[in-house]
Amino acid sequence: MDRIVFESVRKIFRHRPALFNWLGKERGGETIALKDVSFSASRAEVLVLLGPNGSGKTTILKLISTMLLPDAGSVRVGGFDTQRDAGEVRTQVGIAVASERSFFPRLSARENLEFFASLDEVSRSERAQRIEKVLADTGLEEQANTLVMKFSSGMYQRLGIARALVKRPGVLLLDEPTRSLDAATTAHFWTTIRALAQQQTTVLLATHNFAEAVAVANRLLLMHRGELLTDRHVSDGESADALRSFYFRMTGEIDEALDAIHRAGAAP
Amino acid sequence: MTSTTITSTLDKLHAILRRDLLTAVRHRSGFVMTLVGVFTELAAFYFLSRAIGPGFRPGGVEYFPFLLVGTGVYTFFVMSAQAFLSSVQEAQQTGTLEVLMTTSTAPAELVILSSISAFAGNLVNLLVYLFAGVAVFRASIHANFLSCLAVLVFSLAIALALGIAAATLQVAFQKGSALLWLLGSGLWFLSGTMFPVQSLPRPLELLARAVPLTYAIDGMRNALLEGQSIRQMAPTLAALAGFGLFLLPLALAGLSLSLRRARRDGTLSFY
Repeated sequence: MDRIVFESVRKIFRHRPALFNWLGKERGGETIALKDVSFSASRAEVLVLLGPNGSGKTTILKLISTMLLPDAGSVRVGGFDTQRDAGEVRTQVGIAVASERSFFPRLSARENLEFFASLDEVSRSERAQRIEKVLADTGLEEQANTLVMKFSSGMYQRLGIARALVKRPGVLLLDEPTRSLDAATTAHFWTTIRALAQQQTTVLLATHNFAEAVAVANRLLLMHRGELLTDRHVSDGESADALRSFYFRMTGEIDEALDAIHRAGAAP
Repeated sequence: MTSTTITSTLDKLHAILRRDLLTAVRHRSGFVMTLVGVFTELAAFYFLSRAIGPGFRPGGVEYFPFLLVGTGVYTFFVMSAQAFLSSVQEAQQTGTLEVLMTTSTAPAELVILSSISAFAGNLVNLLVYLFAGVAVFRASIHANFLSCLAVLVFSLAIALALGIAAATLQVAFQKGSALLWLLGSGLWFLSGTMFPVQSLPRPLELLARAVPLTYAIDGMRNALLEGQSIRQMAPTLAALAGFGLFLLPLALAGLSLSLRRARRDGTLSFY
């Protein structure tokens, strides 16, 4: 059975201008973030969401996590609908968001993890052991008792991953998880992701990093302007360069960039 | 409610209280400033009541204890709601709110537990305030502690509703502080904090009787200063219970709607 089912999902963000908008230049209207996107993911699969900024990758992750609700279509996780059974969905999903500072600054890394583990109903008897494990997996053992207000970007990012892992979710959602990580931590992280997939976890990972995509993905979802351009398997041994060529061919991003440069050059 | 659910809820409450306590003690200057604030305010009220003279006895009690209880209860309400609102605002600014909404804890449960924590901190402040008023400034009290406890318990439901309503406005329009401003000025005037509501013109007095805080302050004065029994205070306690039963579900329903709307509009982390 598919663990995640996205069915004809549409998401629109409406912009309501301020009350006294004539004082400023705020624009009303709407942004179509997702246009009838459908896909599914089963256990032990690692799906990589690839696409330029604003293509809808983060929106997909937020819809699965119940942070957002769809305007049309349905999102189901483990057979539960994210609108009707949000509570059931949340017990299965762990998310590491791109926002670095989503922690309590005057608590240590360990205290933050204890707090979130408690809200995720990780039993007291298991909590300490799980926290030690995720601290080790993310290389934060030495900083476990440091207040997170003293953390660097990379350490925040590692802690975000640790928080997502501590509840041992069936579905793990990662938004640009290695953006601020050094090479060694990134390589260790990729190993962790592959190990999680072997333990039947479904992983959805949004990234701009082609090397990361080929290192961890079983499947690739290529997003562009809210549409799912491609849903295909990633073959063993596929290179990051080959994926990069495929990406630019499909999205036409380079052509658009060249057009923009030409237009700028032609301008008086 | 099963024993597992109760254990889980208590565990979460413990986690939230611990988070807030650790955050408070690590803001070292915060404690000192609160203490200095308490003593400065009490001193001001003490000298104000001396300046007015012993002839002014609202409701038959000395003016300083009258002020002590009025401002203590009022501050407890407003500062608790403010503390709770601040935690929601901070969670929006840091992005913690979105993450909290993806945990296995239902949003309504999370909000109630968080507000209990905010109120617990301010309950300590209220006790310090009253104790300092009695011990340092010699306010005379004749307390019936059971009645005090009853007033406090019934008032808490109203105070929770107030905090949740402010959080609702914050999530929906990013304007929770507007409600508190209204409370800070309008309700202060109408709730009998500084003077008995009987001194107001008749229409305003009737309006004051529709304000739940009026009953909380009145009830605490009767219990703490006059030692009234629960039986004597039955009408006040009934009014407080009625307000709580009406306002708390209303506030929770409003919050649930505003959270759903924010999840639909993608504005959960807007501030």
